Amino acid sequence: MKSFKFEAKNLDEAKKIAITELRVNQDFIEVKVLEKKGIISKTLICEATTTVEPTELGYNLLKDMFVNMNIDASIEMRRRNDKEVLYTINTEENPLLIGKAGKTLENIQFYVRNIVNLYSAEKIIVLVDIGGYKDNRKRQLEIIATKTAKDVARSRIEAKLEPMNAYERRIIHTKLSDWRDVSTTSEGENPNRYIVIKPRRR
Amino acid sequence: MPVNYEKLIKDLVTPLVVHPEDLMVKMFSEDEAMLTLQVFVHADDLGRVIGKNGRIANAIRTIAYASASRESKKITINIDSF
Repeated sequence: MKSFKFEAKNLDEAKKIAITELRVNQDFIEVKVLEKKGIISKTLICEATTTVEPTELGYNLLKDMFVNMNIDASIEMRRRNDKEVLYTINTEENPLLIGKAGKTLENIQFYVRNIVNLYSAEKIIVLVDIGGYKDNRKRQLEIIATKTAKDVARSRIEAKLEPMNAYERRIIHTKLSDWRDVSTTSEGENPNRYIVIKPRRR
Repeated sequence: MPVNYEKLIKDLVTPLVVHPEDLMVKMFSEDEAMLTLQVFVHADDLGRVIGKNGRIANAIRTIAYASASRESKKITINIDSF
């Protein structure tokens, strides 16, 4: 939650300042007057706070979203620590919500991450997973990485993989980081950035 | 029960805006399978709702698109300020 203290001439001004400083929906802001100063020209010492816990807001948004879509969903929220939250979703429509190559899931995660961080003073890592997709995809990518790397090591010819997002490329870089026969680099520009597996000179 | 797209989008946009009183979501052309939604926000909120490189707008569109495809419909979302 975000909060800050400030001075204002009156309550209207205080509300305006609170909105411009916190920059979130005014329905989620509470302004409290802590102290009144001065006799002729009064000054209010105020404190403005956001009234929603960011990760709770993220949870409620997801819940409402599925209700609005008429999709039965179970959402589990897990705080790993202060800086990270994971929403694990299971529905009757997992493939639809994951989308082609995980695009819809990626967008849902991006949206929730954005909102949570809008309402949070500290940066929070927000992860969304649907039906275990991310673990499956990780396993799949590691298999592709190992297979391709073996080919490259044998043939000594570099290989390009299909375009992937940063998270997926990282899985492959990490998987092949301790290989002595090959090296990995990312080339091209987003969203078509892809990995090249190159043979290492001996 | 068919999906109420106006509510779906409104609920998604609401936490993004600073001026909820100026948020309006209207479905102004309803063909059976081709929906068009118009989202109006306060001028100060436009950047927030669209996001860097249009990524927030895109995310909202993708979510709406998935929901519509479940009903074999297509949806277009236009975002504009007053």
